[in-house]
Amino acid sequence: MNLLRVQQPLDVHLRWLLPLSTLVILLASWEAAVRATHTQGLVPLPSGIYRSGTNLTLDGVIFEAMSGSLQRVLIGFSIGALAGIPLGLAIGTIPVLNRSLRMVLDTLRSIAPIAWIPMAILWLGVRGNAALFVVAYAAVFPFVVNASQAAQLIDRRLVDAARALGAGRWVVIRSVLVPGCMPMIFTGARIALSFAWASIIAAELAIGIKIAGQGRSVAGIGQLMVETLYVKRDVDALVFYMLVIGLVSLLIDTGLRRVQQRLLPWNAK
Amino acid sequence: MKPAATRFTHVIEPLLGLAAVLLIWELVSRHVGNAVLVPPPAIVWRAFVAMLDSDLPMDIAASLFHLGIGYGLGACVGLGLALLAASSQWVEAIVDPFAEFLRPISPIAWIPLAILLFGVGPAVPVFLIFYASLFPIFIATLDGVSRVDANLIHAAQSLGASRRLVILRVVLPAALPAVVAGARLSLGVAWMSLVAGEIIGGDAGIGWRILWYQEFFQMDRVMAGILIVGALGLLADSVLRALQRRLLRWHPSSAVTQS
Repeated sequence: MNLLRVQQPLDVHLRWLLPLSTLVILLASWEAAVRATHTQGLVPLPSGIYRSGTNLTLDGVIFEAMSGSLQRVLIGFSIGALAGIPLGLAIGTIPVLNRSLRMVLDTLRSIAPIAWIPMAILWLGVRGNAALFVVAYAAVFPFVVNASQAAQLIDRRLVDAARALGAGRWVVIRSVLVPGCMPMIFTGARIALSFAWASIIAAELAIGIKIAGQGRSVAGIGQLMVETLYVKRDVDALVFYMLVIGLVSLLIDTGLRRVQQRLLPWNAK
Repeated sequence: MKPAATRFTHVIEPLLGLAAVLLIWELVSRHVGNAVLVPPPAIVWRAFVAMLDSDLPMDIAASLFHLGIGYGLGACVGLGLALLAASSQWVEAIVDPFAEFLRPISPIAWIPLAILLFGVGPAVPVFLIFYASLFPIFIATLDGVSRVDANLIHAAQSLGASRRLVILRVVLPAALPAVVAGARLSLGVAWMSLVAGEIIGGDAGIGWRILWYQEFFQMDRVMAGILIVGALGLLADSVLRALQRRLLRWHPSSAVTQS
């Protein structure tokens, strides 16, 4: 991959060695710089990240917080799917609905889910449901967008053929529309789940800051990070949590890609 | 007669949708009967007008300042790195794994560390926007450059074009659709990060102001602020969409990407 395609392809060993040696040099000079300037505790330290990582994994704090967050992500994601897929299919099949709701939906979609946090806290309280609202809000739009687009792109001839064979409205929806839209809806689900995962952390951070110092109950990874930031002041642990968050979103994405290939082998992107 | 009819429906139908949403909102707020819990549309509108006279212009200016610096830096660095990686396999072999490693870590996850390193203030949202806009544009540009039709390059080369000319006149224009698409994607993520960064770790801007109003329990103003966030996000995207249409008018796909 190069601009003019005149170079020889890079050696396979070099492809591994180059990034690896850069990483080692980077980590070593980072460690040395932090130690030389005596800023441990203010700036994260590679060895410290490793140490607090092993400690936090061994005492199980991370798993407890993680399961709380993931639970909320899954519930919010399901709410988003239940609300978003029917709405999207309706918009995609009924043109009037599409034209009249598009502007409203585009505006609502442009509201960052986290902006709802004050209203969500007011309506649902800080103990978890407010975060759920934010997650569901983030998850619903990818479903709406992809389901409506899929319904618009569906082959009219299939619908007409089913009708000609005597299929009623319900049969057309169940046997033609929904299966035909599945691949795109699944892609929407992947986007929705990654949005949901980013939003739960944002929501939990915002809630955690609101109630920092009051309740000691740690409910999710976001609250845990706030506590680490303001109570424990542990930089290394913060970076460790970030790495775990990245790992989880990587697992979510590759996992869903796998499922997509398994379930929809004819149309896996 | 058809154009007039379609123009009529084009104006009236979105208004119908808007009216339906406002009606539902009004009905819900009447049913709840508590202007703090669910502020009705008219009160939110009055709050918006009042905000226009006081802090709103400054808040929007602060948000746009965060967005301008963060997004400008992120887009430039992302574009530059992608072009470097595209022109040198050495750079690509080094940069690409790092990008793949950092990409799954969402900007949101950086907020606590950013607060710790920079302190609560403008640097937190600016850093988040920078980080958020970096990856989509990097990946889209690298992808766009690598997909440039080799025939075009060979044709230019066989006509005697220099390396510089090929890059400037063939590769970059051919990759432009992907670059602009990446820029739009970047802006969407950047907008979400801007609001999150301002709410959690900022000291100015529209996101920060929403939380500030919450402290005083002015939920009508909170609601107005939330809607302003949506309107501004929509506006920013439509600016880029117009730019996309303008820049790519010559491109065969421009008839398709008008959506």
